[in-house]
Amino acid sequence: MAIFNALTRLLVILVLWLMLPILVENVVYSHINNGLLEKKKKFIDHLNQEEINDFIENSGDSTETYSQFSTLHSEFLVLSKVPVKPRQKETTFSNDYRVIEGEENEYRILQYHFTYEKEGYQLEIGSDLSEVNDLTFIIRLFIIIVLVIILLVTFLADTVYIEYLLKPFYNIIDTKIRRVNEPETFDHTPIKAKSSDFMELDLVLNQMMDRIGELFKKEKQFISNVSHELLTPIALLKNKLENLLQNDSLDDNAVDKIASSLKTLDMLKKIINNLLLISRIENNQYTTEEEIHFYEIITDMQEDLQDRIEDKQIEFLNIMKHDFSFKGNKTLIHILIYNLITNAIKYNTPKGKITITDGFSDKHYFISIADSGIGMDPSQIGKIFSRFTRINSDQDGQGLGLTIADSIANFHHIEIKVTSVISEGTTFTLLFPETAKN
Amino acid sequence: MNILIVEDNKELAAEVFDFLSNTGYVCKIVHNCSDALEDVNSNDYDAMLLDLGLPDGDGFEVLKAVRKTKSKMAVIVITARGELDDRINGLHLGADDYLTKPFALTELSARLFAVIRRMHGFTLNDLLVHGFSLQLQDYKVSYSDIPINLTKKEFDIFQYLVLNKNRVITRLQLTEHIWGDILEVNSDSNFIDVHVRNLRKKLDKHTDIGWFETVRNVGYRINE
Repeated sequence: MAIFNALTRLLVILVLWLMLPILVENVVYSHINNGLLEKKKKFIDHLNQEEINDFIENSGDSTETYSQFSTLHSEFLVLSKVPVKPRQKETTFSNDYRVIEGEENEYRILQYHFTYEKEGYQLEIGSDLSEVNDLTFIIRLFIIIVLVIILLVTFLADTVYIEYLLKPFYNIIDTKIRRVNEPETFDHTPIKAKSSDFMELDLVLNQMMDRIGELFKKEKQFISNVSHELLTPIALLKNKLENLLQNDSLDDNAVDKIASSLKTLDMLKKIINNLLLISRIENNQYTTEEEIHFYEIITDMQEDLQDRIEDKQIEFLNIMKHDFSFKGNKTLIHILIYNLITNAIKYNTPKGKITITDGFSDKHYFISIADSGIGMDPSQIGKIFSRFTRINSDQDGQGLGLTIADSIANFHHIEIKVTSVISEGTTFTLLFPETAKN
Repeated sequence: MNILIVEDNKELAAEVFDFLSNTGYVCKIVHNCSDALEDVNSNDYDAMLLDLGLPDGDGFEVLKAVRKTKSKMAVIVITARGELDDRINGLHLGADDYLTKPFALTELSARLFAVIRRMHGFTLNDLLVHGFSLQLQDYKVSYSDIPINLTKKEFDIFQYLVLNKNRVITRLQLTEHIWGDILEVNSDSNFIDVHVRNLRKKLDKHTDIGWFETVRNVGYRINE
């Protein structure tokens, strides 16, 4: 802020400094011009033929010139006879060099052409400029020093004052905006400010946060209401259908229908649970304070899924070399890995392979889960993380598994990379943030 | 079998979780009343461990809500208060047993076994069915004293079907109670059939198991 102010001031000074010579010259020249004009008037007023002759004859040389100058050569006057030229401007001013008594100086010169008794004359009156030039230089120097001093003083004053003025502003930014991740942790204590503007800002921020907090609460409430209102009837229906199945008088057809209704109900319940999970993750309703050991999680999961791996006769290779630990939410990380591995099983070919590797790339720890499955083309890869997409419509599932994986990864600042080759397999790589420690 | 642990002390909850998971239960932890209510409304648990002092309310409220439904869930109340009134109140409201903090985890699992078998109408810890005997505590099955070597999943399935004898148990119920609350939609249940097939093969060596019925397209039933 202060720097910006100083810069604009510097700019103004620069412009002034550049314009100064022109301004000074204008003022000085018009002053000198007036003096010269006055002298010319005095001279012409007293002029008559005799005097002209006097002037010119006295000089007694063929050039018919009369000249007169002050002792220090600061001024001179020259009258000479020139041929009459029509349409010549009567009075002109110019800067020029003249040599007077062997000394060359720059002069401001007035040239005046007139005719007297049909003879043409030219009158030149000059005034020395060297003094003026010296003066201009001194004025410029003086002004520049004054301006620089002003610049420094105002810059210092600005810095101190702005710092003082803006202290509450930075306070507000720091405590009210930057450190707030959730409306619930918002600090409502008013910030002391000298100016009413910042108190107003603080107040408005507080009010805004209250509204956001209210909305957050409402959304959480809504999520929990939905889960309650939708899942309770599903649980009830499921219970009733399960009891109905116990009835021995049912024929096969009825049993089939009940069974398929139960399946649909189960699907419905899981979709709702999955959507709730996603919105809870996105609402930051999970803590991330648990120490997670990935090697342990993956070996446990391999055990849990052994039946499904064997069912498809898949070769499961876990060649992780590091015992990497990470602070996060155990339940969520479990779901993330579970979804990736079950996908690797689901989309694998019978007697296929799943390989899990880990390592460090550019200081980031990574875990890769590679399958030898059906693979995807690049256009499919782009879509797999959006809700309700499946690669093949004849596949099981509702296409939420990877959406959830993605939400969980985002929540933990883990990057998921996907590479895939059609009918060769797909590799999901989890790339961990640098902050994680080994 | 699946168990809901309602406990606000995260360390204790994790300890119980680890212990019961190792014992073969599928567990889930919630830390407060509202989550507990939400969970029991939508999921079918075999048992619940309920702490009374929860941050957002009294555990009794959860118990009342559970008992309003038709759920046969076994409830063990865990209380730090240990006061007579609490224990009586809990039992009045439909708790099946209670434990006072601090408690030994082995006592907890013994009580759990007991309430679950009582809930299903068994009086002994050894479940007896058509000459087979299931020892709940140590995961052993024997047929007239000849031990049968079952995998953990096979044992879980057998036990669950025996506890719920004479009822058709769908594959979905088996996944829910033995594999836990899988979020995967339409997870194909082939792997359950594989376990059941292996289980039946092992049992069939000893005696005719016509009472172990496969209900076409639906699931399984053990008749007695």
